[in-house]
Amino acid sequence: MQLLTRKFTVDQYHKMADVGILTEDDRVELIKGEIIEMSPIGLRHAAIVNRLTNLLPKKLGDRVIVSIQNPVQLNNNSEPQPDVTLLKPRADFYETKVPTPEDILLIVEVADTTLNYDRDVKIPLYAENGILEVWLIDTNHQSLTLYRQPTKAGYQSIQNLDITHKLSPLAFPDVTINVNEMFGSAIS
Amino acid sequence: MQLLTRKFTVDQYHKMADVGILTEDDRVELIKGEIIEMSPIGLKHAATVKRLNRIFQQKLGNKAIISVQDPIQLNDNSEPQPDVTLLKPRADFYESKVPTPEDILLIVEVADTTFNYDRDIKIPLYAENGILEVWLIDTNHQFITIYRQPNKEGYQIIQTSKEIQNLSLLTFPDVTISTSEIF
Repeated sequence: MQLLTRKFTVDQYHKMADVGILTEDDRVELIKGEIIEMSPIGLRHAAIVNRLTNLLPKKLGDRVIVSIQNPVQLNNNSEPQPDVTLLKPRADFYETKVPTPEDILLIVEVADTTLNYDRDVKIPLYAENGILEVWLIDTNHQSLTLYRQPTKAGYQSIQNLDITHKLSPLAFPDVTINVNEMFGSAIS
Repeated sequence: MQLLTRKFTVDQYHKMADVGILTEDDRVELIKGEIIEMSPIGLKHAATVKRLNRIFQQKLGNKAIISVQDPIQLNDNSEPQPDVTLLKPRADFYESKVPTPEDILLIVEVADTTFNYDRDIKIPLYAENGILEVWLIDTNHQFITIYRQPNKEGYQIIQTSKEIQNLSLLTFPDVTISTSEIF
């Protein structure tokens, strides 16, 4: 038999931070009640996040808040830290509220070693909690999977794109991004 | 790849209880930094623990403190709750100290559904932390495994009740218990 580890709520998770059981230096996220140690970020992963960090504000300006590796609260027992989250503008930059699904326009996850976990655990969790759009970037295969139309049973629209494709965020159809802009060296 | 869950120290585990993240009603134990939900106790398991409690009380009197399903602290990241622990006598009944390995004369684990987990994870953990003697009672197959001479690699002496009918305690060799009293 498989023994069960104790699961925690978002409130309990925050309390751990309040009393110093978890600290700001802990790279953890709460996924379905489990406190998961996030894997170390490789150079390629970091570079893609850096490219998006610079690219997205250029293309979107003040129409969104670009949030990098910060927590979002999906429900009572999940508070992940996506690589990139596009949030609806808010005067206080979410100083008084952890972003929840209705604030979120797009989540981008960059995966190298964690592709299976991201695809099998986090994407369905985002769908279940009504995240409108997710981009899952596979650094090893230089590809991007586009997830849209969330339902409790998963995303109903899934498209695989490679570096020859371009795409527009659902919320900003007038903005176009080439997949190869995320991979730098890939373009000739 | 297997994602890692966050591990906790005994201090952090206690702090969770202090601030109400864990409560007295939570049936959990800390094993190698993981907070494990203990499985529900079946009737046979419960009866065996009750029987052992009576047997030890009758045979040992005040020579040991019998602790049933209470925590013991093995090291910095393990605080299990064995089914029965025999502790060295102490005037305050361990009110001011969680028992640690040097206080422990015997641990008894009663296993029904958790036999493999107990044998493969908890017994080696007890050996590593110098618990002198452990009895692992398999209620389904009605046999007892006795573990002695702990070292970092495990117990050096392992015997089962198929080989010995009358069990005696390492620390109280004059006390004998027959397996028929336990089952």
